[in-house]
Amino acid sequence: MIDSTNEEMAVVLAEMRYKAISDLLASVLSKKGGRWTYTDMFDHVFLHKSLGIPIFLALLWAVFQFTFSLSEPFMAMIEIAFGWLGGLAEIGISNPHIASFVSGGIVDGLGSVLVFVPPIFMLFFALSILEDSGYLARAAFVMDRLMYKLGLHGRSFIPMMMGFGCNIPAIMATRSIDNEKDRMITILVNPLISCGARLPVYVLIAGAVFGAKYAGTVIFSMYILGIALAIIMALIFRRTLFKGDPSPFVLELPAYLVPTAKTVIYHMWERGKLFLARAGTIIFGTVIIVWFLSTHPWDATAGGVIIENSYIASLGRFLEPIFSPFGWDWMTAVALLFGFLAKEVVVGTYGILLGVGEETLGESLVGLGLFTPLTGYAFMAFVLIYVPCVATIGIIAKEMHSYKWAAFVMAYLVVLAFLVSGSIIGAGRLLGLS
Amino acid sequence: MPKKRLNELEIGDKGKVIDLLSRGSLRQRFMDMGIVRGAEIEMVRRAPLGDPVEFLLKGYNLTLRQGEAASVLLEVE
Repeated sequence: MIDSTNEEMAVVLAEMRYKAISDLLASVLSKKGGRWTYTDMFDHVFLHKSLGIPIFLALLWAVFQFTFSLSEPFMAMIEIAFGWLGGLAEIGISNPHIASFVSGGIVDGLGSVLVFVPPIFMLFFALSILEDSGYLARAAFVMDRLMYKLGLHGRSFIPMMMGFGCNIPAIMATRSIDNEKDRMITILVNPLISCGARLPVYVLIAGAVFGAKYAGTVIFSMYILGIALAIIMALIFRRTLFKGDPSPFVLELPAYLVPTAKTVIYHMWERGKLFLARAGTIIFGTVIIVWFLSTHPWDATAGGVIIENSYIASLGRFLEPIFSPFGWDWMTAVALLFGFLAKEVVVGTYGILLGVGEETLGESLVGLGLFTPLTGYAFMAFVLIYVPCVATIGIIAKEMHSYKWAAFVMAYLVVLAFLVSGSIIGAGRLLGLS
Repeated sequence: MPKKRLNELEIGDKGKVIDLLSRGSLRQRFMDMGIVRGAEIEMVRRAPLGDPVEFLLKGYNLTLRQGEAASVLLEVE
């Protein structure tokens, strides 16, 4: 009874408010009838029945290129600079133990954080332009139908696409989704979108076991697998953890404006700063832990040189029984453990363990019988799915304001990775593959 | 005057709101955006995939999904 009275009150209030507004407007506003505004003209093109989607995809492609191609040289520069700093520390510090800690722990830790700065700042620069110009609302309008069918909201599309570059800025971009459930689902499935760091692993394994002729197709299938799993998981989460329809789509299309440099730079800086402050400490801390595990016991590893004797190798051997049904040995377990730092580290880890350069690494993997086409393919799927890198975990924890959710993401992805890779192995063996 | 639901308007059709059939937060959201009794609404266009739909009301452009627009009752000329 009280509820319905309240609701009636709200109706009367809203109606009176709008009546007061229109009475006021009638006395002060004179309309120029029939003339097209700039916004009408732009919308006629940007929201056109057949041009709307191609234009959206073209803009998305431009943002993607701007963010990830343009940031690549800067990322390489940061890596080189920190590599140089690490080298300097190793030469300059006489105590090898401290030198190793400074170089492999502190410098590498800082480098692992700062290397993400260029793509994050550039993505938010581009997104700010789209947002301030008024196009971002149109993008949600154009893509909502498709995303609604997947249990998501039109605003989820851009963060999902950005995941192909890097999941970290992609997860930060979910801030444009105002409904909490929609946003949580988009964050939870984002790690399944195959980011750029996984590509070097695919290139190595696919090139080694399938040969140059089929590698491209095999790699492409990984991206498709990731998208399919993201869709399936989004539907599952919508039906279990976050029940209910996607939030209503009640969105104003604002008038187009030319973005100002000041607000664009401000947005970029504010969001970029969040990454440094929030995820930075988690990434840095994990790099230090992994440095410790891979260089100790200090004497047995000869100061971090013989990685086979390190704690992390023991951990790999301990985990080997879990992976042996997949046809993978302890080195794979170690590579996967290191892959937690950043997925591309899987490649480098094999290089160190086998003592060969990256150019001949593929041949060695096949020559030593570490991977067959079947176990290699299952391994690629495993690398796609199993735990996101530590930086992604860090940003999930901070964006969802909960370490529990970050732990949940890791847990569900590990289980999913075993299920999918196990199914690939099982199906392959049924077909008589080894 | 004939009655229609907001999602039944074709491009260029206009109508006047006579009732909101939704309850709770969606109804509140609609009223906040100016969908109140007596408000005039014009259908502008559909999204390229057919849904959502863009409307013009009170001099600004609002987009709604068809399913949500169905809860707005209008009288049309």
